Amino acid sequence: MSKDVLVIGGGIAGIQASLDLAEMGVHVYLVESLPSIGGKMAQLDKTFPTNDCAI
Amino acid sequence: MLDVGRHPHIDLMAYSEVEAVGGQSGDFKVTVRRKARYVEEDRCTGCGACKEKCPTVLPDAFNEGLGTRKAIYSWFAQGIPSTHTIDPAHCRQLNGKKCGICQKVCQAEAINFDQKDRMVELEVGAIIAATGYTVFDPSQIPEYQYREIPNVITAIEFERLLSASGPTGGHLHRPSDLMVEAEIAALKKDVNKSEKVLSKYEEKYDEPSSAFYEAYQKGEYQGDADRAKWAERYEAHLGLAGPLERLKKEAEGFDVAKRLAFIQCVGSRDFRFYPFCSGFCCMHSIKEAIIANEHERETTSVVFGMDIRAVGKGFEEYKVRGGNQSGISYIRGRVAEITEGPGRNPVVTYEDTRERKVASREFDLVILATACAPGHGVGRLAEILGIELNRFGFFKTGTSQPLDTTRPGIFACGCAHGPMDIPESVAQASGAAARAAQVVTAAGLRKAS
Repeated sequence: MSKDVLVIGGGIAGIQASLDLAEMGVHVYLVESLPSIGGKMAQLDKTFPTNDCAI
Repeated sequence: MLDVGRHPHIDLMAYSEVEAVGGQSGDFKVTVRRKARYVEEDRCTGCGACKEKCPTVLPDAFNEGLGTRKAIYSWFAQGIPSTHTIDPAHCRQLNGKKCGICQKVCQAEAINFDQKDRMVELEVGAIIAATGYTVFDPSQIPEYQYREIPNVITAIEFERLLSASGPTGGHLHRPSDLMVEAEIAALKKDVNKSEKVLSKYEEKYDEPSSAFYEAYQKGEYQGDADRAKWAERYEAHLGLAGPLERLKKEAEGFDVAKRLAFIQCVGSRDFRFYPFCSGFCCMHSIKEAIIANEHERETTSVVFGMDIRAVGKGFEEYKVRGGNQSGISYIRGRVAEITEGPGRNPVVTYEDTRERKVASREFDLVILATACAPGHGVGRLAEILGIELNRFGFFKTGTSQPLDTTRPGIFACGCAHGPMDIPESVAQASGAAARAAQVVTAAGLRKAS
């Protein structure tokens, strides 16, 4: 039995899931295929409907 | 992102892929391939001295090919981890040519051309698949002529043009203008090169090339092979000047794009491709039109759509505000065709179903609101994970347990699950985290008893 969790994908969903689990004290392995995490959201300039900057 | 990089409970494995998954819920055995970066992760400081000197220039995938990067690169400037990566398909050294410049300039001695892929075995209790989506390739729709007409671009390309850290520094230069400017830069480089060669001849024979060429044409220096070469070089040099002048003149008239058209449902709600609604495209088109108007107040935008689906907290107000304050008008109808008009301007032919008429209108730039398509390689990943896909290619989930895949202990969230916007992705991710935590904490309790 293992208490760790594997998260596949380092976009906004994978980042949020990893942080939530880590804050709960669960150890997470976050696997991302590209050289850096961030996913599509990192490519965005601003987000709707508040025009806040993306990650 | 920064929090992920430094959280003590997160092991970040970037540039890695899941190769095999065995076992069952609570006790999975996972093999992860850590792809060779040819840069030591624990040594690279991310300073970027290597990429400054790297001689190989390539299109930058992060900027959707609108900018350039080198064969050694960081995915983007603020990326976590900031470790640089060598592109093995294009690196000169890795393809048997003489180079290794990055290795020489790296003060941290992080470059390692002998690095190999490593396999890592993990034991985990639960798995969350958050693999996201792929932007639909609109070149599959012949009537929109994406890739044929340079000023027809996708929404994600437009995001990069709008971004202050993007290839144009946030100025809305049209792709056709950028192409001309790139041509000018290349021609200037050639002119400089040929000037250097000519100056060597000029030094050798102590005579300006123009005077020599005049004499050469009159029939002097017959049989002098070296001077014949000089003349040949000078002719080639003169040949460069004409096109350069022509392009420079063309570039004088360039302005930023101020008349924008946004075309909705490109690939989605289309029975040829994806019958579903991608959900977020109406809103991102409005957002992009508002931001473009903030950059340049005279900018006007037309959103062509069957309807505008502004379903969400504050979305409808955002749409109305865009119309009132940011020069956006909404036309109900589908676009039949995009052609190229004078000045490389795209011309949109459409039916206005409110006015009941067919019309054509010229724009500076057309932006396609592309569908949210299933991620590349999702089929292979589903096979590895032993889970099913739905008929469109997203991970299959149930209605009563929307985050559970078809295999116990494996959960899906975000756009890997289906099209959704950022707040919904974040909410689902928290849900999936809670579901996964249930599996691993229950495992812990059983172990303790």
